[in-house]
Amino acid sequence: MTPDELAGQLRDLLGDEARPSTSYGLVTVDVPRTQWVAAVTTVRDALGLTFFDLLTAVDELEAGFDIVLRLWSPPERYGLLLRTRCPRDDAYVSSLAGVFAGAAWHERQVWEMFDIGFDGHPELRRLLLPDGFEGHPLRKEFVLASRVAKPWPGAKDPGESDRDLEQRPRRRVQPPGVPRPGTWP
Amino acid sequence: MSEVPPRARGVIALHEDNCTSCMLCARECPDWCIYIDSHKVTQPPETPHGRPRVEAVLDRFAIDFSLCMYCGICIEVCPFDALFWSPEYEYAGPAPLSLLQERPELGSWMRSVPDPPERAGDDVR
Repeated sequence: MTPDELAGQLRDLLGDEARPSTSYGLVTVDVPRTQWVAAVTTVRDALGLTFFDLLTAVDELEAGFDIVLRLWSPPERYGLLLRTRCPRDDAYVSSLAGVFAGAAWHERQVWEMFDIGFDGHPELRRLLLPDGFEGHPLRKEFVLASRVAKPWPGAKDPGESDRDLEQRPRRRVQPPGVPRPGTWP
Repeated sequence: MSEVPPRARGVIALHEDNCTSCMLCARECPDWCIYIDSHKVTQPPETPHGRPRVEAVLDRFAIDFSLCMYCGICIEVCPFDALFWSPEYEYAGPAPLSLLQERPELGSWMRSVPDPPERAGDDVR
């Protein structure tokens, strides 16, 4: 099935509120949060996407959180991504544990890593983090201790050593993907 | 060493002669585990009316394999072919600090780096 054919089928199955898009040959369909479980069930049954591959989330800052699910059809050897978004201050979706039993573990992980709730989950408790762990490590506001405690080795320019960093203070290249100093508490 | 494929990704080797201390690998490393120190040396002009050149000379190159996740980005970004995959893997030590390898150790892995393929695709099977 070509990505275009798949996107057409998804429009027919899920209606106007579902928005399929294609990136590098991979089809992703965005569905409203209220239709999350219904959309996943429909896609599983109508397209034979019976293999639950993974469920995870992405912190999109002010835009909220994306919950991303990858499904696969073992006999047809194709798959797609389903995605829904929830706001930051109201972060929850309905649980998929009734559609794919294996989703329960993934939802436990997303819950502990992002603090996203899953309505109707049979037993939402920690999966990987130790008891007493504070915070949700995959949220962008979570402070990475190792990025605060240690200076970036790339701050030096060619021809410089650690001594030059102290003796010649000036504006320097900043490490990619790390908030500016002072942004983190 | 027991038999592993010659292009296995066991450890990262440094070919020091090719390193220009450009810092690209240290800046791209997602684990912040490459440490480079260098100093500047002014070379006299090579032609009668030429200008002197300033070169960076490498003082320290270290990779902390207790932090490295073996992604190989440093090898990919090096524009001067100073970093290579070596198939050697037996360098476990008694303490995490023994995995912080400096220039002599990183250079020693070059002995097991396979020659580049003669034509593109020759090593792909």
